[in-house]
Amino acid sequence: MKATPPPVTQQTRSSLSFNPDIGVIGDFRGSYISKGQKNFDFYLNETEVSLQAAVDPYARADFFLSFARDPETGKYGVEVEEGYLTTLSLPARLQLKVGRFRSAVGRVNTVHPHALPFIDMPNAYVNYFGEEGLKDEGLSLSWLLPTKAFYQEILFQVTSGYSESPAFARSEGNRMLYVGHLKNFFTINDDNTLELGLTGISGPNDSARVSNMGAIDLTYKWKPVKLNTYHSLTWQSEFYFNRADLMDNYSMSSFGMYSFIQYQLAKRWFLTGRYDYGQKPYDKTLTENAFSLTAGWYATEFSKLEFETKTTDDNIDKRFYQAWLRWIFVIGAHGAHQY
Amino acid sequence: MKKISILSLFFFSISSFVLAQIKIVTTTTDMKSIAEFIGGNKVSVTSIATGYQNPHFVDPKPSYIISLTKANLFVTVGLDLETGWSPQLLSSSRNTKIQKGTGGYVDASEGVNLLQVPTAANRAEGDIHIYGNPHYWLDPLNGKTIARNIANGLERVDPSNKPFYEANLVAFNNKIDIKLKEWQGKMAPYKGSKIIAYHNEWVYFETRFGLQIVDFMEPKPGIPPTPSQLVKVINEVTANKIRVIISSPYFTTSSSDVVSKQTGIKELTLATSVGAFDPVKDYFGLFDYNIDHLITVLK
Repeated sequence: MKATPPPVTQQTRSSLSFNPDIGVIGDFRGSYISKGQKNFDFYLNETEVSLQAAVDPYARADFFLSFARDPETGKYGVEVEEGYLTTLSLPARLQLKVGRFRSAVGRVNTVHPHALPFIDMPNAYVNYFGEEGLKDEGLSLSWLLPTKAFYQEILFQVTSGYSESPAFARSEGNRMLYVGHLKNFFTINDDNTLELGLTGISGPNDSARVSNMGAIDLTYKWKPVKLNTYHSLTWQSEFYFNRADLMDNYSMSSFGMYSFIQYQLAKRWFLTGRYDYGQKPYDKTLTENAFSLTAGWYATEFSKLEFETKTTDDNIDKRFYQAWLRWIFVIGAHGAHQY
Repeated sequence: MKKISILSLFFFSISSFVLAQIKIVTTTTDMKSIAEFIGGNKVSVTSIATGYQNPHFVDPKPSYIISLTKANLFVTVGLDLETGWSPQLLSSSRNTKIQKGTGGYVDASEGVNLLQVPTAANRAEGDIHIYGNPHYWLDPLNGKTIARNIANGLERVDPSNKPFYEANLVAFNNKIDIKLKEWQGKMAPYKGSKIIAYHNEWVYFETRFGLQIVDFMEPKPGIPPTPSQLVKVINEVTANKIRVIISSPYFTTSSSDVVSKQTGIKELTLATSVGAFDPVKDYFGLFDYNIDHLITVLK
């Protein structure tokens, strides 16, 4: 029989300093594209440094700094991907966020790319929000509704339009970007959940006029509680409707969507199939249809390797093919992902 | 103004009357069971995780936030066991009364004599816990520490019922003492028995009841069994005439099946938490179940 080890005193348990939780995420990629001159490439897509801690009893702060190569100059640069303060002590189930944050549009936009189950972003999403997504600087107020039967949250965000997205631009006047989101989360039973989200966006576009967008997101998840680390299934879709006011008496409506199914085959293996459809926001007669398939091997919570192939058919060019390899690795603190 | 404050006072007294029961949310069912022993009819307790779920990997579903927003007391196992999910739920709850550092937050591990505290935090060792092994509730004597911490929490948020909670605490501790004698008596003939475990979560149970875990199915905590680890385990089982592999409801048995087929070793899925199986109704039932089943295979 083992001797009982000496008791550990309480002191070792408190953190030794007030340094925030620090994490570094590496995102290494290889890529292939069937058209153009340069078909193969390797690159460290992004290095994300996260710094997170409570500010005081009333608020916490989260910073995500992104070090990445500028695609045009090839030089490394730093960007504040997100940097915001979240209140912890507002009354009436309110929570306020101020700073730079990812806008509350559907499901994909609020997730950091390294946590998504595919490597490239859906076409429709890129058409409206760009590769980097819609993130902006301003205020976000969220209210948890007193609904008892299911989870309901309303978010309202006012931001200044710093996001360089194709659909929205920074106003030279006083117009702000407004985002409203209603999140409804239903627990069907222990193993099955459903989320329905409605988003409205209104903001200035690059014609110095207004674009209005509506979006719907629908997510079904099957994750058996007992063996939740072995098998699961997610079916997630988003639909975007955009109306851009471009000139006097002329506006352009367009539509885009994606839908993916992710199935976890075994503890470490994930397979994701996605369909993309998008009309170009500036000319809805230009459409894209794409299919992609991603296989993921999740070594641990701290590293995963993914391989994606994609075929795109747009009515401008002939069909082309792409493939990516991505290795995500994390050191240090690693925050929880949203469900 | 005065009218409003009188009205609101009236309103608050009504609501506090309606809310007479203290609402406790615990992360796991073991904390729930002990909280029910201490709180009795003065409390209503819900647990986020079920008893047959891996407490490291609970999905932070938004629906859990609903019960947290109204909670008076939050009880966590602590030691980073729930680090992947409970901090996120807590900060989304908008409930200032149960945040870390407030009176409504109970870290049940305070004062527990921790085992396997690493000297270095290195993820090359697998899923190690920097504060020590967090599965401490599997030693019934640590149940007393958990109960003390929960009673302290209850007395902070509901000081008027302190004598009630203290009396329940004494009764709970007495029952632990009586039952522990019974359990140790049952286990005495098997002292020093060598066993294999799937995951490193039995060290407190092993130490209390004099078992000896020779190896784990996982080569490192959180890393699924590899062929070379299976070969190593098979050799150890044969060399030491080991009788049983113990596992948990949330792990697959496929690799243990291989070892069992090769060596004839028995496989036993023990209850890691209250509610893991139907007969495991409370914290005492957890040890009743595990000890009775262990004895059957060690005989």
